[in-house]
Amino acid sequence: MSRSFAIADTCFLIDWARYRGRDLLFKLYVVYVPESVLREVKSESTIAWIASRLASGDLALFTETESEVEEARSIVERSRRMPNMPGVDLPEAVCIAVGRRRGYVVLTENRGALKFVELAEDYAGVTIRRSLEILLQLQLRGHCGDPALRFREYEEDTKHLFPRKDLLNAVAVIRRELCGEAQEVGGA
Amino acid sequence: MSYAEKLRKWEELEEEAREVRRRSADWAFIESLPPRLREALKYYIETGDIRRAARLAGMELEDFRELLRRANVPVVV
Repeated sequence: MSRSFAIADTCFLIDWARYRGRDLLFKLYVVYVPESVLREVKSESTIAWIASRLASGDLALFTETESEVEEARSIVERSRRMPNMPGVDLPEAVCIAVGRRRGYVVLTENRGALKFVELAEDYAGVTIRRSLEILLQLQLRGHCGDPALRFREYEEDTKHLFPRKDLLNAVAVIRRELCGEAQEVGGA
Repeated sequence: MSYAEKLRKWEELEEEAREVRRRSADWAFIESLPPRLREALKYYIETGDIRRAARLAGMELEDFRELLRRANVPVVV
């Protein structure tokens, strides 16, 4: 199965670098890393993972054009005018701008980026994915097993918590699609 | 969903995340830290804004993410 192109922000990469199943990501995507994101990665273990995956071609370096950075600055400014808006900073904004222009899936854990794409109508076409959705996609390619296992392992390894309602919905989808359980989405 | 409904949804999500961060945090550890780190962690718990919190702490983003783990403050997204 061919893989889609995605573009990842810093927090997404540094959390995935700690996850025991981190290379599963590349079953779904070839992931671009913007230079502005790469500059924020400092730890030896994360750099080592990124370097090895750049070498294998699963990750690719993305050099932003001036025009993309300019659009990203505009996203940062617009986000500042939105009410109760968590920060969208330049590295996430670059991912959103490139997602809009090139159709890449945006991989982020940044609440500001998620909120901006939902509220800004001209960015409604951007596909944005959190780890939760990626783990769900991966699980749906496998077998029933323990439907919550991947999510639990990710939370243990990264100390990231998925919103409980979203997690229960994801597990319900797996139970319905893979395990043949007639269960309504949203149920426990 | 209307713009106002979307805003309300995000406010509820942020309040839920804030409560989880407050409840999970190791407050004894946080209070034992030097003032700059302590206040940066409190700022993160209230806002969820990791970049500004890292700058308040005078740390690189990745190092601040590690401090969040040590303080048992989850990223909730």
